[in-house]
Amino acid sequence: MTQITKRNPTSFLKEEYEDLVKKNLEWNIHILESGSKPHSIVDGKEVIMLCSNNYLNLSNHPRLVKAAIAAAKKYGAGSGSVRAIAGTLKIHTEVEKRLAKFKRTEAALIYQTGFAANAGLIPQLVGEGDIVISDELNHGSIIDGVRLTKADRAIFRHRDVGDLEKVLREADKKYRRILIITDGVFSMDGDIAPMDKIVKLANEYGAMTYVDDAHGEGVIGEDGRGIGAHFHIEGKIDVEMGTFSKAYGVVGGLIAGSQDLVNFAYNKSRTWLLSGSHPPAVSGAQLAAIDVLESEPEHVKRLWDNTNYFKKELNSMGFNTGNSESPITPVIVGDSGKAKELSNMLFKEGVFALPIVFPMVARDKARIRMIMNAGLTKKDLDFALEKFETLGKKLAIIP
Amino acid sequence: MGGRVGLKGTDNVLAQAKKLGAKPIASQKAGEMLKEFLADPQPHDIHWFTCARDMGNTELEKYGIKAKEIIYNPRAKTTTAEDTKKACQKFMEYQVDILVFCGGDGTVRDIFSVIDKKIPLLGIPSGVKMHSGVFGINTSATAKMLREFINKRLTIGDAEIMDLDEDLYRKDKWKVRLFGLAKGIVEPTYIQVGKASYESVSDDAVKDELADHIKDELEKYRDSLFLFGPGGTVDYIAKKLIIEHTLLGIDAIYQKQLVAKDVNEQQILALLKKYPKVKVILSPIGAQGFILGRGNLQLSPAVIKKIGIENIIVVATPSKLMHTPVLRVDTGDKELDRLFTTQEYLMVVIGYRLSRVVKIQTNSF
Repeated sequence: MTQITKRNPTSFLKEEYEDLVKKNLEWNIHILESGSKPHSIVDGKEVIMLCSNNYLNLSNHPRLVKAAIAAAKKYGAGSGSVRAIAGTLKIHTEVEKRLAKFKRTEAALIYQTGFAANAGLIPQLVGEGDIVISDELNHGSIIDGVRLTKADRAIFRHRDVGDLEKVLREADKKYRRILIITDGVFSMDGDIAPMDKIVKLANEYGAMTYVDDAHGEGVIGEDGRGIGAHFHIEGKIDVEMGTFSKAYGVVGGLIAGSQDLVNFAYNKSRTWLLSGSHPPAVSGAQLAAIDVLESEPEHVKRLWDNTNYFKKELNSMGFNTGNSESPITPVIVGDSGKAKELSNMLFKEGVFALPIVFPMVARDKARIRMIMNAGLTKKDLDFALEKFETLGKKLAIIP
Repeated sequence: MGGRVGLKGTDNVLAQAKKLGAKPIASQKAGEMLKEFLADPQPHDIHWFTCARDMGNTELEKYGIKAKEIIYNPRAKTTTAEDTKKACQKFMEYQVDILVFCGGDGTVRDIFSVIDKKIPLLGIPSGVKMHSGVFGINTSATAKMLREFINKRLTIGDAEIMDLDEDLYRKDKWKVRLFGLAKGIVEPTYIQVGKASYESVSDDAVKDELADHIKDELEKYRDSLFLFGPGGTVDYIAKKLIIEHTLLGIDAIYQKQLVAKDVNEQQILALLKKYPKVKVILSPIGAQGFILGRGNLQLSPAVIKKIGIENIIVVATPSKLMHTPVLRVDTGDKELDRLFTTQEYLMVVIGYRLSRVVKIQTNSF
């Protein structure tokens, strides 16, 4: 006999998905048959990859692959537990030691992902009676981390230290702890937070500083040490948070700072305490990534050479590449429809670069956002540039 | 896409301007707006409803708009406020999606007296003073707003209608009060719902957050008397918290109970004697971001000095702040204005436990 239920408990799944489809807001997942490579096979088509976060192409580096295999052979496929109980393998602690040394901080801690670091740590750093002061363009995972706190929140104008100081002055009057939080390299525009000035201000007001350097790790600073090294303020940012999933070519979140920070963080972050630890292969590859960064400076150099060449050529064609100070290269085309059209046309011509449209960016600032890759050759870049020039003219984006 | 647009042109404003010996500028402003609006390709299915001659049709003709219909014909050559009101009746009958008009606060008041909240209003600023929240900051902004509304990129939200005492104004004195709450068009607020996806949030959803915030504040400062200021945002918050509230006036609330309704300056001063701790909740009113000095004169310099600037809680939706990048204060008291100038900026609550600093400007218009 059919049971009649009071309500259909799962009908919303289909309804909400279909609503997204109707509004053209659903994710169309692209399938990479090749792995993330400078030349990838995406949805069956070979394209030049300009939208992965694999800045240094380390995900394909033989040393990382070899180290992953070796670690799996030595420790097995999984870690068996959460870090706090029986899932801390020696190789996990090795990564943390090596990372702290590389970042020139007292200590470091690996989280399962960058998101887990933000969502786990931020709500522990502040609570009721505290305030988080956040750049208005911060990344979603910071925003979610901040939402989990009981602290009040204030935002300051993007990269505007003057505006930040005004908020600090107000916050100083009535809050216990103050946490300033910002992206290091901003993922949409590729501009960089003025961390030196922010740290200086924070010191004046007795505020903590927290930077999400996901797009800076492996990219900026000496040998890709990140934003601390970029501004020569290593160890002075209270929390340098980053990820192994972008330029490092693996996966995993990280924080670097004082031993006190690390002790506090792993005892308090629920994401860290309640998720299984990384499989040994991940840790092996992470260690190798740090090794490669230390011993093979050519990857970071090639990334920047490629970036500078690509931007220079785009600019000379008449494209607007915005205020980027990093390998994140936006080509601002204005109208959202045009950005989508350009992206589709580029894909057909063998260049994979995704459009970023309103409301992720302002209405008249729709763009193609590219992330340079150290593994691309000059020939690859010239190929992509030629397509940009032809299509840019066709769509009347450039003269 | 597309829609039905009602255009109400130049009537009593023109007459009034002529009376004052000024050049009639309404037609010119309407023309500027249309020119700017038509500069971009438009959806084909916009249908315009308008009034004869100078009340709209002349300008539509001039800019070659074919899909139009004259639905009101004023009798006399010089039109009056009565013509405005009659035309508005017609726009309601024809169920236009938006009513675009030329004028100032006086015109809006006439329109609002008929339309109320039934049709969203969009003003081309061309009167003497424009305090109401339905105006674009200039003709080009109005054109852009109309375009974005037709393309469904702007949404409908509350807009305050202000009323200027013209007689006092001519004597160089300001008395602007809040007249009512109309529907205007606003920028939606967006929240990030995924790594790369955003959802637009209705004006009401943002105000719900502001109400949650104020609810916490009422709890936190249980020993304080709260003065709820006038205007749409504060009114929404009060209603959400099930507190009886006067849209156009100031109410006093203590421990979530209404203790005095629609109070004047003297009554507030009396309350301040009884309650040593007081907080006042304000929101920018109208188009120009005034938090004090327009629409809430009951909060006199004497009142504000007694309460203290630090006890002012300003709430605003991000979409409202987008149009009023500064908060304006015009208390008429130099000493108090100076206090605000020294303060430079105020923390404005823009969401649940979320705030940002906004600059204060004390020079009056």
